[in-house]
Amino acid sequence: MMKLIDITDKYGLETCKYPLEPYLVPETYRGQPKYKFDLCIGCAACSVACPPNAISVKAVDTKVVWEFDCGRCIFCARCDEVCPTGAIRLSTEYELAAKFDKSALIQRGEMDMASCAECGKLYSTKRLISYTLRKLELSNLSEERIKNAKFYVNLCPECKSKKAILSLETEAKEIL
Amino acid sequence: MRGDKFIKLIEEKFNILETTREHEEQLTILVDRNDLPAVVKYIYYDIGAYLTSMIGNDERSINKNYALYYVLSVEGSKLPNDPIIPNEEKCFITVKTLIPPKEMTYPSVTPYVPACVWYEREVYDMFGLVAEGLPDKRRLMLSDDWPNDLFPLRKDAMDYRFRPEITNPENEPEFTFNEPDGDLINIPLGPMHIRNEEPGHFRLFCDGDTIVDADYRLFYIHRGMEKLAENRMNYDQMGFLAERICGICGYAHSIACIEAAERAGGIEIPQRAQALRIVCSEIERLHSLLLNIGLACEATGNYTAFMHIFKIREYTMQLAQLVTGGRKTYGNVIIGGLRRDMTGNEIKQSLETLANIEIQVNEIWDAIMDDKRQVKRWKGVGVLDQQIARDFSPVGPNMRGSGIMRDYRIDHPYDFYKKIEFTPSIGEGGDVFARIYVRYQDLKSSIHIIRQCFELMPSGNLSIKANVNIQAGKYAMGYVEAPRGDTTHWIMQGGSQKVYRWRARASTYANWPSLRYQLRGNSVADAALIVCSLDPCFSCTERVIITDIKNKESKILTEKDLKAICRKKD
Repeated sequence: MMKLIDITDKYGLETCKYPLEPYLVPETYRGQPKYKFDLCIGCAACSVACPPNAISVKAVDTKVVWEFDCGRCIFCARCDEVCPTGAIRLSTEYELAAKFDKSALIQRGEMDMASCAECGKLYSTKRLISYTLRKLELSNLSEERIKNAKFYVNLCPECKSKKAILSLETEAKEIL
Repeated sequence: MRGDKFIKLIEEKFNILETTREHEEQLTILVDRNDLPAVVKYIYYDIGAYLTSMIGNDERSINKNYALYYVLSVEGSKLPNDPIIPNEEKCFITVKTLIPPKEMTYPSVTPYVPACVWYEREVYDMFGLVAEGLPDKRRLMLSDDWPNDLFPLRKDAMDYRFRPEITNPENEPEFTFNEPDGDLINIPLGPMHIRNEEPGHFRLFCDGDTIVDADYRLFYIHRGMEKLAENRMNYDQMGFLAERICGICGYAHSIACIEAAERAGGIEIPQRAQALRIVCSEIERLHSLLLNIGLACEATGNYTAFMHIFKIREYTMQLAQLVTGGRKTYGNVIIGGLRRDMTGNEIKQSLETLANIEIQVNEIWDAIMDDKRQVKRWKGVGVLDQQIARDFSPVGPNMRGSGIMRDYRIDHPYDFYKKIEFTPSIGEGGDVFARIYVRYQDLKSSIHIIRQCFELMPSGNLSIKANVNIQAGKYAMGYVEAPRGDTTHWIMQGGSQKVYRWRARASTYANWPSLRYQLRGNSVADAALIVCSLDPCFSCTERVIITDIKNKESKILTEKDLKAICRKKD
């Protein structure tokens, strides 16, 4: 019994005075996901990857609403992995208690939607389109191919498929 | 191929309708339901096998029948006088039988192989399949007021969101406990408090101070994860759900679940991922074993040792944090490999922490062994007889403490264990001390295994892009030797990215049925210690401390305070 107390004495204290002093976590710690609205393009990759459906991306009227409910989050970092722009990153934040107000756990962002150049229907966020255009410029494609792609970016899925079929048909006719 | 020898032996005696092979060492034989008890008994006792799991399945949409799968791990009985089955012949033989929906009955295997008792009770709860001749026909999982004609896992029974109405407390049916005859004192333990804080209700039937018999009721928080996964989850989400089955051996569950899916889809993961999976699960073993040794000290009132062991456990948690980024729930496994690699620097730090853990574990063990009072509280208490262990197929340290060497890392090596050398631990006598001793030996071999993994770990990819070959109706089993014994997941693939049936069998599930024999003949004071030595899964929050950082004051909220806060509306 005395031997035990000796050992305990030898190694000293392990506990820290948290919350009176900060408790340090390693850099790789997976804490609360932090959302940077400025970087978000509303591509919804995170909401697809999220296992507990904590992230939702929905179209409400003329806006795309990105919403994250930390109460549902399981801190798996799937969103962090799939985000193309780094808009959502897991921080080292672990103090998540909310005092009887669950809305404190919700992070939200609203993005404007772009309308289709053909039919005028709202179909995607403006940011996603400008992101795609930016990426297209950096890509190593032929000019004609880029021009073509830029044209299709501004169309909603239905118009896009209609146009594509139409152009294929005309091309086929030309060849014939 | 593996197992063919045994199939031939069975064929000589019984009529096998069909033999299929799911995986290298997993075979299924289809038998008539009237042959079922005899076949299972023959494999269990005559060939030498242990029951790994039993799965009920509603296959009416596949073959118009219900199906039962008795998964037997053919590994020899491992008793001193019985023949030994060499490692390269060990395999899993699944005995499958079909039950027509018109009859809904099958002959019970329990009278021949007692290990089946809980599984057969569960199959009644979930599917309404009646085991004729089952000695104990009470409910196992569902609550007492659950509607009698609603069997949740039948595919057409209910929506997974449906909750039957709760009966008024006064109308709630009484659960009958198996009370032995005689003038005995009935001592209830629980439902919220035995050893640790977990809903489990124990009845100890005592003659004076001695426990004559015991009965218990668990599953107060049955969560219906299987139903949820079948209806809502895809394979990506299931691994994360499986990890949350247990707060201690969650990683074992996630690997078992994912590996079952990988085996059913025929995916081979990269070597580096295999090695890192082993590293993480061994780290988990370290902290789980330390937890249990600590609690065994606490149950006997030795708080100094308990606190010190928990301090060592803190290093293992830091190690886990270093390797995976999470202290407990690692969220690391995906189909096709792992998500997070280790850097050289991290490996170096881990090795330092490991050395520290090893030194301190040895020191504390010596100190505890020096303490005669402590050791005497453990010796000769809660003996699990070898024959009872043979009949009930318990797993892990509980089994190894009784001198039966069952360890899936040796019997059915998976992943990187094929390349690792280690001596499995074994105890003698089957008492609490033997189990604690096995755990200490396991701790040491765990540290050894992690070091070997770091040494042998090849470089390369950590995950492959898994093109899961999903074929509806295909099934496979994933198994992991978790700190408490083997954790087995069984997955049958369904269409549209979902599982058809997912059966998760946690290690403690296999350990519970034999507990009443361990309790018999001991004093009431040791009951908590015996339950603790089983290392059951327990989790709950007892209290909350509110600290005011400005005034540097803290206040502990009691149960009453917490209830008052819950009732308060804002």
